[in-house]
Amino acid sequence: MSVVPVHRKLPWDWYGGTIPENVSVDDSAYLETSYSFLLYRSELPEGVRIGRGSTTYLGTMFDVGPRGRVSIGDFSLVHGAWFICDSQIEIGDYALISWNVVFMDTYGVSLNPAERRKQLEALSTGPHRRMPRGASTEPVRVGRNVWIGFDCIVLPGVTIGDGSIVGARSVVKENVPSYAVVAGNPARVIRKIENDEVKQAG
Amino acid sequence: MIATTATLEPGRWLDGELPENVILGVNTIIRGDLAFKRFHSRENRALVVGQHCTLDGVHFALGQDARAQIGDYCCFSNAVLLCELELRIGNYVIVGWNATIADTDFHPLSPAQRIADAVACSPLGKERKRPLIAARPVVIEDDVWIGPSATILKGVRIGAGSFIEPGALVTRDVPPRSRVGGNPGQIIGRV
Repeated sequence: MSVVPVHRKLPWDWYGGTIPENVSVDDSAYLETSYSFLLYRSELPEGVRIGRGSTTYLGTMFDVGPRGRVSIGDFSLVHGAWFICDSQIEIGDYALISWNVVFMDTYGVSLNPAERRKQLEALSTGPHRRMPRGASTEPVRVGRNVWIGFDCIVLPGVTIGDGSIVGARSVVKENVPSYAVVAGNPARVIRKIENDEVKQAG
Repeated sequence: MIATTATLEPGRWLDGELPENVILGVNTIIRGDLAFKRFHSRENRALVVGQHCTLDGVHFALGQDARAQIGDYCCFSNAVLLCELELRIGNYVIVGWNATIADTDFHPLSPAQRIADAVACSPLGKERKRPLIAARPVVIEDDVWIGPSATILKGVRIGAGSFIEPGALVTRDVPPRSRVGGNPGQIIGRV
């Protein structure tokens, strides 16, 4: 694995920020802007990892908490995804992720209104006025060769199997099997696709 | 929990000059260049926000006669508030990224009326009055959580403590402490 840490500005960046030190981007990967890290605050040794030949465009936001880690495989195309991550979000190789897709491994708030009140009171006195995290988390896994349409939401705890397609505007609540097409809110399997990958990839 | 309000800063918009008919409580902040880009209300006290709110990247798209009211300790991020009539939001309400709340249909239902509306909205329609468009107030009670990309449509009242799942489209009233998901939004549990 030739993933090297980057501590630099992106020469083409319209935004004046830098890539945080604990973000690993492969030399061959393209990151459009450091703006994607505006909300990033992971304290792990490697909070984001972007693999060989992958691309993340403007509109992608790494809203990663102190204990969060996002990894994107090789040759993945992320057009604009919002990663709300407090534990782990993993995107496999050859993923095609469209615009305005939300991946969340946490709701960021408690289901209990009394707990939410405490969070909101803490927010109102916090230095940056950002919502404190601390709600429960369930990792999200997206397999290899998955295509996710625009405006989709992938909810906490979901695993999407290899080769599957998620139709635009779907809300994925339950696991998606491999080589399936799912769509809808909530998303349901609407078709199976033949795994021709072996023949094609040769 | 909170220091006396007298020691806190008055409410402010960090990225511009607040319209005169907007009133913010102490320690409330609004962030975002485009917050009032589509704010056209001519009402007195068109937008009244309580104390200790954090409103990030919110679009306050209020029509000429619209009035919106937001309680204390709310947190909205990149929400879109489309209001032609009335929007009442309680205390401790959280609205997620890209969520939309609208109290209007935007255009008439009938095809003939829609043609009249298209003409009235066009650059040639300056003198024409737009036809009547359905609008009903939206009420969001205390302690409601509205997830990212959720949509709340006109006339809906969301009961206290309810949890609206990401991407849900809510077209009907929601009883207190319900968990709502899907399109159309269904009650999928209690909280």
